[in-house]
Amino acid sequence: MKKLSPWLGLVFRVVVGAVLLVAGYLKAFNPSKAKMAVRAYEALPIPVANILGVALPWIEIGAGLLLILGVAVRQTAIFSGFLMLIFIIAIAQAWARGLSIDCGCFGGGGQVDAKDTKYVQEILRDFGLGLMSLYLFRYPKSRFALEREKETHE
Amino acid sequence: MSKQPGGDKVTRYIVIGMVVFIVAVGVIFSFVSSSSKAAPYPSIVSKSEGYGIVFNGDLKNVPKVDIWEDMQCPYCGRFEGVNGPYIQKLIKEKKATIVFHVLSFAGPESVLAANAVACSADEGKFLQYHEYLYANQSPTENSGKWSTEGLLSAGSEVGLTSSTFKSCVADGTYGQWVKNVADDGAAKNINATPTVFKDGQKLDGNVVFFDPVAFAKAIEG
Repeated sequence: MKKLSPWLGLVFRVVVGAVLLVAGYLKAFNPSKAKMAVRAYEALPIPVANILGVALPWIEIGAGLLLILGVAVRQTAIFSGFLMLIFIIAIAQAWARGLSIDCGCFGGGGQVDAKDTKYVQEILRDFGLGLMSLYLFRYPKSRFALEREKETHE
Repeated sequence: MSKQPGGDKVTRYIVIGMVVFIVAVGVIFSFVSSSSKAAPYPSIVSKSEGYGIVFNGDLKNVPKVDIWEDMQCPYCGRFEGVNGPYIQKLIKEKKATIVFHVLSFAGPESVLAANAVACSADEGKFLQYHEYLYANQSPTENSGKWSTEGLLSAGSEVGLTSSTFKSCVADGTYGQWVKNVADDGAAKNINATPTVFKDGQKLDGNVVFFDPVAFAKAIEG
């Protein structure tokens, strides 16, 4: 396990980082769609949702870059874990309230037909990414990171 | 593997600095590029109607219908196919004020098409061009169908051949107006297209959008 874990860390860094980077990139250049995606959750005041719709894609790009490059992995990983928790709560509340929306995670978003919702898949995916983030927070040392992390245990 | 002490700290701060810079520039750029600014718009557009394209704005005691749409959205194409003739009839017979809000969230060709329909309004052919674009919509968004060339040749099908129209489409003359409409839609919480309001009341699309009798009843009833 001790030998494997830096490799596992690398895999998780690249997976979580790439998902964040791609998700951010796909939304960053269509701000009006990204704003709509956040508004459709009906969880925030409209002006706040519109600001978040513009800012969130770029924040995801930033977190994705840091994870892939392997810099400030611990801090970025706990942030991305927090992000996944927020996403899960947002999707779950939309589901529970009977909204018919696409999560808008990778572009898209807004209202969809009730039969086209994918709440279970979306929550499971974010749960998996959240677990990987928690692992990286606990064991940030990994292969091919620009920055060498200190051992946090043993 | 051993490095000089402090070496990692330098890498760390340089990389964090660069990433923060990218994020900040991206956020600021997106905010500036997607917010409303004073810009030219066709004379048929009313700023007080959220930069919408207004027909029969001068009529009193008739219903006001606000239609939020995206030229590439397939539901909007279906909606137009079902109710387009009826809406044109309402306009012609002066039975309603109709405001078209042309959104552009489905990608770059929605932006080009929204600009182009504004150009067609300058020529007095908005309704014909709007109808033609929906009737000939591509099944997939951003397929190249509503590129500048595609929009120009679609224009020539309805008699839009003037050099003013061509340069308006090619230059994106109303590009900022397109953003102003989008910004207004964001402020008014429009999360799907088509979205239709009658006198400020949102219609239930599941009930009336694809049933012309129910739609006419919702507007006139």
